[in-house]
Amino acid sequence: MVIKNKKFSKCENIEDIVRKKLSTKNEITWCPGCENFLILEAVKRAILKIISEYEGYKLENLVIVSGIGCHQKIYDYLNLSGIYGLHGRVLPLSLGIKLGNPNLTVIGFAGDGDAYADGMEHFVHIGRFNPNMTYVVVDNRNFALTTGQSTPTSPKGFKSKIEPSGNVNDPINPIKIALASNISFVARAIPTDLNHLSEILEKAIKHRGFSFVEILMDCLVFAPDNLKNKKFYKVENRDIKKAFELAEEWNYEDTEGKIPIGVIYKKEKPILEEKIPQLKRLIEKNIGWCDLKKQ
Amino acid sequence: MRLNILIGGKAGQGINKISEIISKIITELGYFTFNYRDYQSLIRGGHNFNVISISDYKIGSVETKLDCIVALDEKTKKIHKKELKNNGFVIDSKNFESFGKNLNLALSGALLKILGIEKNYLLEKIKKEFQTKEALDAAEKGFDSQTKKFEFKKLNRKIYLMDGSEAIAQGAINSNIDLYLAYPMTPSTPLMAELAKRQEEKNLLVFEPEGEISVINTALGASFAGAKVMIGTSGGGFDLMVEAISFQGMTEIPLVLYLASRAGPSTGMPTYTSQADLNDALRAGHGEFPRVVIAPGDPLECIEKTNEAFYLSEKFGVLSIILSDKHLAESGFSFDKEPKKPLKIEIKRKVPGKGIIRTSSYEHDEFANTTEDAEMAKRNAECRLKKYEKIKKECQKFQMIKKYGNENAENLIISWGSNKTVILDALDEIDESVRNPKKGKWKFLHVLYLKPLSDEIKKEILKSKRVILIENNSTGQLGRLIREKTGISIKDRILKYDGRPFYLDELKNKILNLLNK
Repeated sequence: MVIKNKKFSKCENIEDIVRKKLSTKNEITWCPGCENFLILEAVKRAILKIISEYEGYKLENLVIVSGIGCHQKIYDYLNLSGIYGLHGRVLPLSLGIKLGNPNLTVIGFAGDGDAYADGMEHFVHIGRFNPNMTYVVVDNRNFALTTGQSTPTSPKGFKSKIEPSGNVNDPINPIKIALASNISFVARAIPTDLNHLSEILEKAIKHRGFSFVEILMDCLVFAPDNLKNKKFYKVENRDIKKAFELAEEWNYEDTEGKIPIGVIYKKEKPILEEKIPQLKRLIEKNIGWCDLKKQ
Repeated sequence: MRLNILIGGKAGQGINKISEIISKIITELGYFTFNYRDYQSLIRGGHNFNVISISDYKIGSVETKLDCIVALDEKTKKIHKKELKNNGFVIDSKNFESFGKNLNLALSGALLKILGIEKNYLLEKIKKEFQTKEALDAAEKGFDSQTKKFEFKKLNRKIYLMDGSEAIAQGAINSNIDLYLAYPMTPSTPLMAELAKRQEEKNLLVFEPEGEISVINTALGASFAGAKVMIGTSGGGFDLMVEAISFQGMTEIPLVLYLASRAGPSTGMPTYTSQADLNDALRAGHGEFPRVVIAPGDPLECIEKTNEAFYLSEKFGVLSIILSDKHLAESGFSFDKEPKKPLKIEIKRKVPGKGIIRTSSYEHDEFANTTEDAEMAKRNAECRLKKYEKIKKECQKFQMIKKYGNENAENLIISWGSNKTVILDALDEIDESVRNPKKGKWKFLHVLYLKPLSDEIKKEILKSKRVILIENNSTGQLGRLIREKTGISIKDRILKYDGRPFYLDELKNKILNLLNK
C-alpha cells in the first residue's frame, strides 16, 4: 500500500532522512490489504513528527516492544531498539526498560489476544505504577496468527475452527477496564482514518504517564466485519464520568453502533519515575543505571 | 563446650528477639553460634521455636538433645521436654509473667545470667534497641533472678554473624546490583527485605511487580536497558517464571535469579526446608540453552558465589541461578573469615540509547530480525552449545567444588547446598576428619556448581572405596545429576524429606549406621 502525502514526497527534508532511518529492508509478511500496513505508516508518521518537532525526543532513545501475533511483525519493519517479547508480556518488558533507564521512550505493541487474555494481569496494574510510556493494542478481535480463534473482544457468535457453532461468551470492554484501572490516558483509533490515528499516537507518546491506545480494526481473513455498519465519531475528553459513558457507548458486541474514537480520557498524575527517588535521580542526570557511578 | 538451647512459644511472643540478643552477645565474646528457626506459616499463635547452639569451636548445626529449654508457653514444655538431656534445665515463663510484653527480654536476661555472661553486655544491647524503662527493668530483673551455671570468658577473636539471606544481599551489593525485583514468597522474601533496607544507602532499587511472571519479564526489560538485575522467588513462583527463563535463553539478556527452596510439591510447607528444586533449577524451560546453577553452602559462599553469578551472567549473557533453601536463607550462621575481594561487574555491552540494540524471542539473525531459515537455526543452536563450553571453561577459575577432610580417605561423602555445615560438624564428631584431616577417615566433597558440573567429581568418586550421598530430598537429585554426567550410580544415600534440616546427632548416627551395614 502506498501512502501519498506531499509532506514526505521530497528527499531533502529532515522527515525523509528520519523516515529512511526508521525503515528496514525486511519483507513485509502481513496479508495483502491488511490494516496493519496503515498502522505501520501511522506509527512512522507519529515518530517522525515527535522527533522533528519536539524537544527531548531522540530516535536512539526510542525502544519498541512487541508481543506475539500479527501486530508484532511491526518489530521487523521499524529500525529501532527493542525487544520482540513473549505473548502477553509486553507491559512488564516495557516497564522493565523504564526501570532500567527511565530516560528511554518506550512504545509497546500488543494484539487483543496478547493484551487482554494472557496479558490482562499486567494491564490492570500498570495504571497503578503509571510509567511514562505508550501501549498500543491492535484489536482485530481474533487470534489471527493462530488462524482465527476467539479472543476476549470477539463478539458472541463469532465462528472459528474451534468454535464451529460460534463463541458463546460475552466480550470484555477494554476501555472500561482501562478507566477502572486508573490508566491516565485512554484512547481509541481506527487505521482507516490514518491522519487521526497518527495524531492519537503522537498525543499518546507525548502524554506524561502511561498511555493506552486501542486500535480497532478488521481482519480481512478471519474477522472482516469488525467495523462493518459501524459509525465512528471523534471525541476529546478529560472527564472521568463522561469517559465511562463513552466507553459504554459500544460494548464490543453490537453489530451496529456509534463508536467514539479519539482521546476518551486523559489526566495528569505522578509518574513512576517521579515517585521513586532512585529513578528520579537518573532522570535528573539523564542517564541509565549503567552510567551511574556508585560509591 | 557446646550447648543447645531451645526457645519456644507462640508466634508474636518475641522468640527471634531472644535468639538475636543471645547470638549477638555470644559472638561478640568470640564464640560460635548456630540458630535454627522452626516456625509455622502464621502470624500470631501456633507453636514456633528456635534452637540455638553455642560453642567455643566452629559449628554449623544444631542437635536434637537439649541442654536448656526457654519456654514462653506451656505447649513448648509439653512438646520438647522429652528432648531435654538428663542434666538439662527449663527456664519457665510462669515465673516471669509480671513482665507482660517484655517477657522475652526478661527471659533473655535470665538465660544470659545462667550462661555466666556479665550484665553490662545485656544492658548495653537493651538500651541500644529499646528506649523504655520497662524493657531495661525486665531484662535486669530477669538476669538477677538466676544463678550462673556456665562460664563464657571473652575470647580474642572476631566472629561474624549472618544468615544466608543477608549474605546473598551482601554478594549482590558487592556486585553493584541496581535492581532487585521479587513478589513476596517464603523463604525468598528475607533477601528482598534486606536489600530494601539497604537500598537508599547502596543506591539500588527494590521493586515489587504484580506477580512472578511480571517480575522476570520486567527484570529482562531492565537488564536489556543496562541495569544489573537480580530477581528472587521460591517453588511455585519459580514455576511461573519458567516461560521467560527460556526467553532469556534465546535473547541472552543477563539475569541473576535467586531461588530459595521450600518443602513442596505445590504449596507444600512454605516455612520448612527442602532441596527438592534442583531438577527444576537445572532443567526448567523449553528448548535447549545454557545456564549456570550455583548452590552456596554457608554465608561466606553466599557472598562470593552471588558475585560469581553476576560476573558469569554479565560476561556470557546467561541466566545464573543461585539455589538456596529455607535452612540457609533463615538460619543464623557464625564464621571467623572474611569473604574474598569481589570481582568487578561491568556492563560492557551496548545498551539502548547508545545505538540500535535489538533482541528477539523468535529465532533471529544478528540484527534480531525474525528468521525461520534452517541453516541459521542450526548455526544459532550450535552457538548456544559453544557458549556453554566457554562458560564451563570460565568456571574453572572459581571453586566449583570444595573438598574437606582427609585427601587420602577411602570414605567419601558427597553433598551440596545447606547440608555443608552439618556434614562438617558430623565428620568432626565422628573422628575429627575436618579439624584434623590427617587423623580422620573421611573426605567430604561439597558441590557448589551444579551447572556446569566439575569433572573432578568423577575422579573423586573413582578414587574412593565407599561413597555416601547426602541430600535433603526424597529422590537424590544430585545423585541423578552425577549419574547423568558420569555414568556412576551412588547406592549409599542418606536422604531426609520431612521439611527439617539434618540435625547433627541424627546425621552422625545415620552415617555410622550406613558405614557399619
